[in-house]
Amino acid sequence: MGIRYEDVTDGVRRIHLFGRLDTVGSEEIAGKLASLAESAKRGVVVYLSGVTFLSSMGIRALVSAAKALQARGGRLVLHVDGSDVVVRTLEATGVDELIPVFDDEDEAERAAMTSV
Amino acid sequence: MPERVERPRVELTIRADARDARRASEWLESSARDQGVPPAHIVRLDHCLDEVLANVFMHGGTAALASSVLLQLGVRRRPGVCTAELVVVDAGAEFDSSASSNGPTPKPASLAEAGLGGLGLAMIRSFSDDLSYRRSDGQNHLTISVRWTEAA
Repeated sequence: MGIRYEDVTDGVRRIHLFGRLDTVGSEEIAGKLASLAESAKRGVVVYLSGVTFLSSMGIRALVSAAKALQARGGRLVLHVDGSDVVVRTLEATGVDELIPVFDDEDEAERAAMTSV
Repeated sequence: MPERVERPRVELTIRADARDARRASEWLESSARDQGVPPAHIVRLDHCLDEVLANVFMHGGTAALASSVLLQLGVRRRPGVCTAELVVVDAGAEFDSSASSNGPTPKPASLAEAGLGGLGLAMIRSFSDDLSYRRSDGQNHLTISVRWTEAA
């Protein structure tokens, strides 16, 4: 698994997650994800298209990051790319009703810029 | 037509340690593939296994951590319908993942209200077709089943 990020000019931070976010893998990236979300200027898009497995620990890391950013007035959204298993995990846990999910990159980044 | 078991049940024993969860996953993928379980259903079992083991390691208590965890996989084939059963046996605190009283917490109305508990149980129930549980000899025996159809 892996994590990398890039800041784009309009205040959006893109965080890309990769690989197997099982319980062990999610624990390994949770701290980095939290610090990247907390230090973002405004909005964050977390790209899950490279994720092959998403555990409840990974979901917890996403929810924690989204809550921390929201407390500062920012917004975290998710981008998925047709991965059935990732979408199913988001739906099973109800997280898709708490954190906006998009399959279009432009829509995701526009949503991340929207004030909460 | 009588039920037919394709192959004997296969087993793996792991330490009650998060680092062994990856080994368990690799065993599951390999064993299930060998028994003809379709990839999409291996993924379902793999998610359940990861969540069950996480529960054992985090909530099973000292008895769980001091003991090994036994995994068993079997596949039953009947005309048109196949079932893969993954059994997880641990010595942790008694916990029935299949009981409705241990169900996932209600979904929160907003992100601000969202807690972080119960997500694993929600996933186990969503990814499995059936769960059964028994407590025997001081051990939890959880059976996770997934089913699929197959041309005769």
